[in-house]
Amino acid sequence: MNEPQKRISDKALSVWRITGAITSAIMAIMAGGAIWLSNVFSWPVWVVMAAVGAIILHVYLYVYLFPLLRWKRWRYEVREQEIELQQGVFVVKRTLVPMIRVQHVDTRQGPLLKKYGLATVDVSTAATVHEIPALPVEEAEELRQFISRLARVADEDV
Amino acid sequence: MSNSKRLHPIAAVTNFIKQLKELIIPFIAFFVFGTKASEGDLWFFTGSIAIVIVVLGIGVLNWLRFSYRLEEGELRMEYGLLVRKKRYIPFDRIQSLDFSEGILHRPFGLVKVKVETAGSSGTADAEAVLTAITKDEANRIQEIIAQAKGKLVEETFDTEVANKAERVEEKVVYKISSKELLLLATTSGGVGVVLSAMVAFLSQLDDLIPYESAYHEVEKVISNGIVIVAVLVFLGFLLAWVAALIGTMVKFAQFTVKKTEREIIISRGLLEKRQITIPLNRIQAIRISENILRQPFGLCSVYMISAGGSVRNAEGAKVLLLPAVKKAQVAHILQEHLPISTTSQPFNSPPKRSLPRYLLRGSLIVVPFVIAAIAIFKLWGLLSILLFVFSSAWSYLIYKDAGWGIEGQQLNIQYRGLIKHTLFMKKPNVQSLDYKESIFQRRKNLATMTSLIKSGMGAIGGTIVDIEKEDAKEIYQWYSHSQKAPF
Repeated sequence: MNEPQKRISDKALSVWRITGAITSAIMAIMAGGAIWLSNVFSWPVWVVMAAVGAIILHVYLYVYLFPLLRWKRWRYEVREQEIELQQGVFVVKRTLVPMIRVQHVDTRQGPLLKKYGLATVDVSTAATVHEIPALPVEEAEELRQFISRLARVADEDV
Repeated sequence: MSNSKRLHPIAAVTNFIKQLKELIIPFIAFFVFGTKASEGDLWFFTGSIAIVIVVLGIGVLNWLRFSYRLEEGELRMEYGLLVRKKRYIPFDRIQSLDFSEGILHRPFGLVKVKVETAGSSGTADAEAVLTAITKDEANRIQEIIAQAKGKLVEETFDTEVANKAERVEEKVVYKISSKELLLLATTSGGVGVVLSAMVAFLSQLDDLIPYESAYHEVEKVISNGIVIVAVLVFLGFLLAWVAALIGTMVKFAQFTVKKTEREIIISRGLLEKRQITIPLNRIQAIRISENILRQPFGLCSVYMISAGGSVRNAEGAKVLLLPAVKKAQVAHILQEHLPISTTSQPFNSPPKRSLPRYLLRGSLIVVPFVIAAIAIFKLWGLLSILLFVFSSAWSYLIYKDAGWGIEGQQLNIQYRGLIKHTLFMKKPNVQSLDYKESIFQRRKNLATMTSLIKSGMGAIGGTIVDIEKEDAKEIYQWYSHSQKAPF
């Protein structure tokens, strides 16, 4: 397989795990509520077990498994004529974006990404937006300038 | 270039009517939920009249405040009642002028002119409209703008003056025949709309029609036999259908497609004439759609997917080019007129082994309904298993209609949701291409392709599911600009 060459930063793994942990925590609070209710109204035991099971499964999937699979899959490559992306967990998706179709490039950074010195690059065409998540800030900056320079060269009417 | 001008006074009247239309819903709400006591009626009456007068006044004032002029290569408009607004549009930013004539316009020889600009970004009032000006005036504006643009083109590309003469030349590409108009109307889906409107209308008339006593009459009728009721219901449907039929015929009468050197001009309508202009270079793709009613007649509608149009004006994005023609004739009618060819070459189909996946997908949609039916109706719910028969038949159709073809610079995709679509697009207009492969697909060596094109402000995609992996790679390779094989 001739897949795109470049990987995203391995710190992405930590960021995604933290995001997963936060959603898990929210789920846990809800499950806690359910368990408390089942105590009050003496619901059957399986309700409690299901709630606990769901939390454990959620933590396993969103803190451990999905970030790992996602990171392993994520590849990108910026060539002179086009950008190629590969992503997915269960479904592998590969996307081609020709340079002549690129309208503008953005970088963005939330608090979590900032803490890890990462940034996300958004490549916009006239109709679609494509995201390259979690690159080191300098790399993201470089990439943004690189793409916008190439896109300008290849510029043409819609 | 010219002095500032006002719109025709009819503009004030159309403004007024438009405002009034917007007030109708609150009026009805007031009418239905309002007081029923007799003294309320007087308040309601005077209140309504006061509102109507205010609205009329606003309409007239708006008209008085609106002025436009052509000056220094710009269309300049000034308007606004409380907030004074000025809008200057340079001629070379104007993509096209769309003329339409409402019922009020026609006796006075007026037109409504909509100014389409390039990159009407989705701001609230992205488009400029001259509500009512005379036809001569409209033609004069069009000429001035065309001349100004022509000069610009000459300056940049240094083409001959002959260019100008050619541009005026119009070729009629298509004109609807009365037979086609009839077929279009009979197969249009407007019946449901008219029917629901009728029901809504009848339910609003609770106070006016003495239903109570009417029911007694109806009871007698019913006792006379179910046949009569059936006939009445049937007549109701027939009436709704005829109404929809006439509505469609009036709307699409005299449907004509013309072509100039760089534009497609579509005009239609009997009472209200509409004209829409699409520059050829804004066309992103051509779509042929065959709905289930038209397919048996071999009929289809052809749409142009255009990059024009703003958020508010979605009709600029998908423009009906041919409302109802024989599919076999589409390529013949359009021939060389469009930048995209619509010759229906044989399509490559998904392999046999992907049929089970199509069937499975169809059944999965039905499963929740069947479970719900069995849970609610117990034994009788088992009847819902029949749904699987329908879903399988439908899935088979989806499988049968899926196809793709590459023809030089062009990618053609055929797919079905409820309606069968064929999408013709050129490589430079495809914004991005996706190749997808799930774990299950990989096991069977299948893949899914999606190509996205620009349509108005958004994107539309043509997706073809479960094709041979090698085929998907071929499409991917076709789209890729890089020399080395991507796989």
